[in-house]
Amino acid sequence: MVAIRVVLVGGARVELAPSTALLAGRLLAEGTGRRDHRALAEAVESLGASLSSFGGYESIGVAVDALAADWERALELAAEVLFEPAFPEERLTFLARQAAAELEALADQADAATALEFSRQLYGAHARGRPLQGSAASLAALDPAACRRFHAESLARGGVVVVAGAIDPDAVARAAAAAFAALPPPAAPPPPAAIAPPRRAVRRQPATRARDPVHLFVGQISVARADPDFTALELAGVVLGAGAGLTGRIPQRVREQEGLAYHATAECVAGASIDPGRAFAYAGTSPDLAARAERAMLEELERFVAEGPTAREVDEARAYLLGREPFRRETARQRAELEAQSALLGLPLHDAAWVRAELAAPSRADVAAALGRRLDPARLARVVGRPRRALPRA
Amino acid sequence: MAAPAPRPPALAGALEVDRLANGLRVCRVVNAQAPLVSTALFYRVGCRDEPRGRGGLAHFLEHMMFKGSAGYGPGEIDRLTQALGGSNNAFTSHDLTAYHFTFAADRWPAALAIEADRMRGLTLDPEAVASERQVILEEIAMYRDDPWDALELDVQAELWGDHPYGRPVLGTPEELEGEGAEQLAGFHRRFYRPDNAVLVVAGDLEASALALVEEALGGIAPGADPRPAPPPPPALGELRRIERRQGEVGRLILALPAPAPDRPEHAELRMLAALVGLGRSSRLQRELVEEGELCLAFSAGLTDGALGSSFTLAAELLPGIDPGEVERRLFAALAALGTLPPSEPELDRARRLFASDWVYGQERIHQQALVTGQALAELGLEQPGRLLARALDATPDELATAARRWLVPEAGAVLGLSLPESAS
Repeated sequence: MVAIRVVLVGGARVELAPSTALLAGRLLAEGTGRRDHRALAEAVESLGASLSSFGGYESIGVAVDALAADWERALELAAEVLFEPAFPEERLTFLARQAAAELEALADQADAATALEFSRQLYGAHARGRPLQGSAASLAALDPAACRRFHAESLARGGVVVVAGAIDPDAVARAAAAAFAALPPPAAPPPPAAIAPPRRAVRRQPATRARDPVHLFVGQISVARADPDFTALELAGVVLGAGAGLTGRIPQRVREQEGLAYHATAECVAGASIDPGRAFAYAGTSPDLAARAERAMLEELERFVAEGPTAREVDEARAYLLGREPFRRETARQRAELEAQSALLGLPLHDAAWVRAELAAPSRADVAAALGRRLDPARLARVVGRPRRALPRA
Repeated sequence: MAAPAPRPPALAGALEVDRLANGLRVCRVVNAQAPLVSTALFYRVGCRDEPRGRGGLAHFLEHMMFKGSAGYGPGEIDRLTQALGGSNNAFTSHDLTAYHFTFAADRWPAALAIEADRMRGLTLDPEAVASERQVILEEIAMYRDDPWDALELDVQAELWGDHPYGRPVLGTPEELEGEGAEQLAGFHRRFYRPDNAVLVVAGDLEASALALVEEALGGIAPGADPRPAPPPPPALGELRRIERRQGEVGRLILALPAPAPDRPEHAELRMLAALVGLGRSSRLQRELVEEGELCLAFSAGLTDGALGSSFTLAAELLPGIDPGEVERRLFAALAALGTLPPSEPELDRARRLFASDWVYGQERIHQQALVTGQALAELGLEQPGRLLARALDATPDELATAARRWLVPEAGAVLGLSLPESAS
């Protein structure tokens, strides 16, 4: 198989109006100057391939997965979609309606709705503080001209084309250079947005559409991918709950020792990329256990920051992340996405030796110090999504 | 004329199957695509083997397999997995229970030591059992709280009636209250024996792999109980409707009885599912999503139960859309499958997408281990190849015949609707 990823720098972090990046990105695959969305889908699917376009927080782009033998045709289709989108108004109307429905569907998922509120508390007015869809109002307000403008600005900002799979690298490089000659390379990665953590602890209890479970998020903004503290905090996250199975202090305490939740997890650099990620603990539990679960999570976070991890915990976390490296490069799609991310961030994430050296560096003291710098238990945001109308358990 | 659709291999890698003296079947899948090895141990036991009124026992035991055995205390399996940089997980279905690990190729035998230890027996500390019961109660509540999961559970219960496939894998809270250490130990003793298991070892394997398996698991005594004889699938004979209200988005599932994967016309139904639901150009993606603009999402597929399947169509409605309109279009599309066979270009496109989908389903080493293990544990290693070939070779007339036989909702189906609560 062959995986093609074309990624343009920008995304929702630079949009002037909410919803723009998502819809401008999705509209790329809704028709070009040469064919409408039906003909485009038929051209792709007659190869047994898939083509989609996307708009994310930091980029928009095109993804094509096809049989390796069809790489040339797949590359041509990716270039056509990237350079010649038609932005048809009726498809924008349809996509906006779909995105509004996605917001409703998200609201039906109590865990997702609580997570959105948690992001809002952490990121405030930054794009990551709202869903990519924006709101029903911002979706309705968008017009094709705004999408066209956003696309043109994204193209001008530059991007990267990655092709991975069972291919002849020289032939692919020649073809890609010709097909994407008009795409400038991305400039130096933009600096991360400055997002100030709240000055004091906040606690919110949004009402969800759940019938029973309570969803708890406790955490803070952490660091961007390029931050010098990133790797130390990644290790800390594994100690806290981002590792294998139910290891980690949060799942151990909340699920294994006290049986308070089916799902309990924690991370320290969740979503870190150009902009800072989140350090958080999560548990999904029942209303009668929620207070205990929340207390347990707070105690574990406070203790973790105060005492830091043990040397054994850091060693095991390091071994885990080192051992996971081959998992991230198993498939053509994974390799293509890793290469694209490397190019956007200006970091050699695709280079396994570089990643190993990064993971080898932080000591236990480094991890403890990074935690002390980046996680302040006195300023944690807590969001407790509670059922607006709880039903008795069956 | 376009080249015919490609034929992917039915199972990835080079396969070798052996049987140890204690009855354990071992399949090696040699594939050096990444420096990884996955193990997948399947026990031929699942929800269907639970005595009536004792639902959830198989799944409860799956949880307890991580809570302590002679060589690994509570939580130690996960800690060791993490320290070795691996991953593990497990699942219980109506037919099978599976445990899988993936490690770097130089340390995978750790998985064999764990599997051998917990196959020999579990600690089943009563406090740990009680704590885990509470965890499963939370898991049940999570499923019931998800509108899609809750609707699907109700539809499957109605479709299968008293048949074990109609029971929830997790059991009910009332059933779980009756299960303790003694019951779990008994279930383990009856079914967790090497002669009732299949082990797949997949990935970048050395020649010593089989010897390592023999050394770790060859000394465990056989003695599994025979599986209880399953009842025949029920005959619905009518279209049944379920309506529930949860959330604010309309959701619809139509489930029709379908033959088991080794029975005639299962493969044809798979290709029919691709014709209606795979890709933006497929019939119902166009009708309901792309052109009809009635739904946010639509999917079609077959479940894979060893005793029988269901052909399932699922749609998430756009706000304000009348579910009756979606229902009418679904029924019309199913009828058209029996009267309007696909054109050659339409069928060619579906075949190509089907083949790509098949390849992606076995892209990663752990997927290869799971797909191979399921085949070996249930219907045989040849089964996936037969199914793939039959699906890709099915002619338009054969597809239409299968559609007329199986895709007639009025002859037997369950239509489940989850409607917005605010509209009640």
